[in-house]
Amino acid sequence: MVFNSLTFIVFFACVLCMHSLPLPWTTKKINLLIASYLFYAAWNPPFVILLWVSTVIDWYAAQGLVKARRQATRHAWMLLSVIANLGLLGYFKYGQFLLDSFSALMAGIGVAYHPAHYDIVLPVGISFYTFATMSYTLDVYLRRAAPARNLLDYALFVTFFPHLVAGPIMRPTELVPQFAQPRRATGEQLRFGLALMTLGLFNKIVLADSFLSDVAERVYDSDKIPGALDAWAGTLAFSGQIFCDFAGYSTTAIGAALCLGFAMPDNFRFPYAAVGFSDFWRRWHITLSSWLRDYLYIPLGGNRHGAARTYAALMTTMLLGGLWHGANWTFVAWGGLHGLYLAVERVLRARFANYSPGPLVFVLLGLLTYILINLTWVFFRAKTFGKAWTVLKGMVGQNAALRPILPTFSLLSVIAIVGGLVLTHWLMRARTLESVVARTPAAVVCVVWALMAFLIVIAQGSGSAFIYFQF
Amino acid sequence: MRGDYARVTAADRPGVAQPVPVRPVPAQPWGRILLGAVLILVLLVGGWEAYWRAYGVKPGFANSFGLWAMQRRRIDQGEGAATVVISDSRLFFDLQLPVWEKLDGKRPIQLGLEGTTALIFLEDLADDPKFTGRLLVGIAPQVFFGGHGYRAGALKYFKRESPSQRIGQWLSVHLIEPRFAFYDPDFALETVLERQAWPERPGRTWRMEVRKLAVTEADRNTYMWDKVENDPDYRALMREIWLRDLAPGDDDPPPAKEQENAMKQIERAVKAVHTLQARGVKVLFVRSPSTGPYLEYDNRHFPRKTSWDVLLARSGAPGIHFEDYRELQGLEQPEWSHLSHAAADEYTASLYRIIERDFWGPAAPAILGAPQAMR
Repeated sequence: MVFNSLTFIVFFACVLCMHSLPLPWTTKKINLLIASYLFYAAWNPPFVILLWVSTVIDWYAAQGLVKARRQATRHAWMLLSVIANLGLLGYFKYGQFLLDSFSALMAGIGVAYHPAHYDIVLPVGISFYTFATMSYTLDVYLRRAAPARNLLDYALFVTFFPHLVAGPIMRPTELVPQFAQPRRATGEQLRFGLALMTLGLFNKIVLADSFLSDVAERVYDSDKIPGALDAWAGTLAFSGQIFCDFAGYSTTAIGAALCLGFAMPDNFRFPYAAVGFSDFWRRWHITLSSWLRDYLYIPLGGNRHGAARTYAALMTTMLLGGLWHGANWTFVAWGGLHGLYLAVERVLRARFANYSPGPLVFVLLGLLTYILINLTWVFFRAKTFGKAWTVLKGMVGQNAALRPILPTFSLLSVIAIVGGLVLTHWLMRARTLESVVARTPAAVVCVVWALMAFLIVIAQGSGSAFIYFQF
Repeated sequence: MRGDYARVTAADRPGVAQPVPVRPVPAQPWGRILLGAVLILVLLVGGWEAYWRAYGVKPGFANSFGLWAMQRRRIDQGEGAATVVISDSRLFFDLQLPVWEKLDGKRPIQLGLEGTTALIFLEDLADDPKFTGRLLVGIAPQVFFGGHGYRAGALKYFKRESPSQRIGQWLSVHLIEPRFAFYDPDFALETVLERQAWPERPGRTWRMEVRKLAVTEADRNTYMWDKVENDPDYRALMREIWLRDLAPGDDDPPPAKEQENAMKQIERAVKAVHTLQARGVKVLFVRSPSTGPYLEYDNRHFPRKTSWDVLLARSGAPGIHFEDYRELQGLEQPEWSHLSHAAADEYTASLYRIIERDFWGPAAPAILGAPQAMR
């Protein structure tokens, strides 16, 4: 179920009640596990089996790793986990993509190959929980973590509903230890958790769904050719939409976990205030970027084997990171552009190692970063390269003398919301939400909370899915 | 440029086991804050509700995909022999289920959806062997022969509706919708803001989304909102919206293409009708009345001879065209396209009597296909 639904409100109220009953800790954990399976089954019950498969494979792989005496055996257990998880991901997420790409390749060399349509429904959140379970086996393999003490704790780590389908992608060392001792939220944690959930849902329902998604759709999903203003407005709207949608989900998830007494890590640190792309990736989808760094970039050699190997590892990581987001070459292009940006930045940092920008240049570099990130969002949002090219041409003013697509209201919405968003990120770039809330008068916090809740109610969200569910 | 992060995260700890996160709670009187926020929220929502009630809105049911799916499911849950209505907005708004039920003893299943051709639902029912009943197919020429599918997503929603969505729909129709007047897509925040008088960009034509036009009940019986009937300003606004919609636009297909498209719709309908008839389903097309600029538009773009008559002749299914029956004419249509609530009651009674007399009743002659003469 999605967080922005009536079903979730009832579900969450029941979970909170169950969790506050005077029951043994093991019983509470079983309750949470069952609730998490119900949470997942509420989309499509049979897909719970996939969750079990992923859970069981990594549980036994980690057990095997611990018992193995020879390095080759350890290696085999690790490979079993990786192949099984990537196999699941490949079959359900990339099967059709691989077939289509192969058909296109064959067509390119004059061979007509038309395989049957693959018609498989993508299990929601599969990219997230396969990465979470893999990190468990890989951490045990890399001797960074001890295996969970019991299957219940491990299964709850994989399935815990706040992070299950769209992250933050948890590491076993972050969550499993929290299941060792009884946990229940304090009154303050519960109330602040509810405030975080309100903030997250405000981002999703009001900003992303009500105001920004429609603007991006009108530009990207219509066959009209956008001029410069429409192309930029559509792209900026998407930059705001995807942040509000995804950061909204993460904030809601962190709030939900806090209401139950659990801590989840930050997934965003005001990314549109990034100066440079390495800074951006330390602020955007932190749990994915650090996952890719720890389990892909570093094992590929990282920056320890010379420049050529470093750039190869960087590009491979970003291209695969792009593909993780969706089975389409446009996502690969998105990842490739980010890889290119990071590589260029690396060259520039080496060339101007002693350069320290003044305040104005610093802000200008930040704006340049934001503009270049928006160029990558074009490939992320467009369904085809043809559409991406059309929007890009519009953004550089090459689609001249066209009729406007967006109404004035849409333009004003984008200016107000995205402008406000970027400004907020700059004001908050070296702060945390908690530190700002702590310094704000209680009456202001109270009114802002009420207003966000009111806007959520009158926005009448349609319960649309979060963008990252499809990944 | 680096290092100015207020809190350390996994991004700052490469290649190590990530520790249990710490989530500080800001020092604030959270109990009082929550209480105050709830009080303000109640006041704001109460004020918003009062505002819309003063505007003339009463609590009702949202004409959502979920509500549509609830009705569609009835066919698969033992009511496959029922009378079913599929239509765009015209027969959806014009056919009143309570009136029909009073005359027939049974209440039809209403599956109409505004701005959406009945064709996609005709094909859906043709593919569903559980449906063996009687079928009224509403035809608004612009929508049916133009192949418009404004809310065609209902079918996909129905087929893929998750348990969570079903539970949410149940909760909504039992706890929210019958209690709050503001809970209507026409009064959603973004919709309300967007329709304010913003200056239009040069070169862009003003276009307002269709405003609230009807009231929907729990089983999707739908009729015209009394504000359209009684508020001259609101009615004028509705007419203005229609006039803008009916005005020639740059995206309009050329006449030849329009006719070609209409023939494609007819061919698809013919195939579906034959499938249904082979299963013993009685299919009856219904062209409900329109008037004023709407009727002019329909006659200009989809003349009866090249659309309605061809559909009946090719499908072999009978049809009721309002122009053929005096009792279906001259009814009140405040915004040219749909009947007022009272007129819809009258229309339903007349339509039922015609259907029983000429098509589905025990004494009905076996009339197929050809358009009826004025009676």
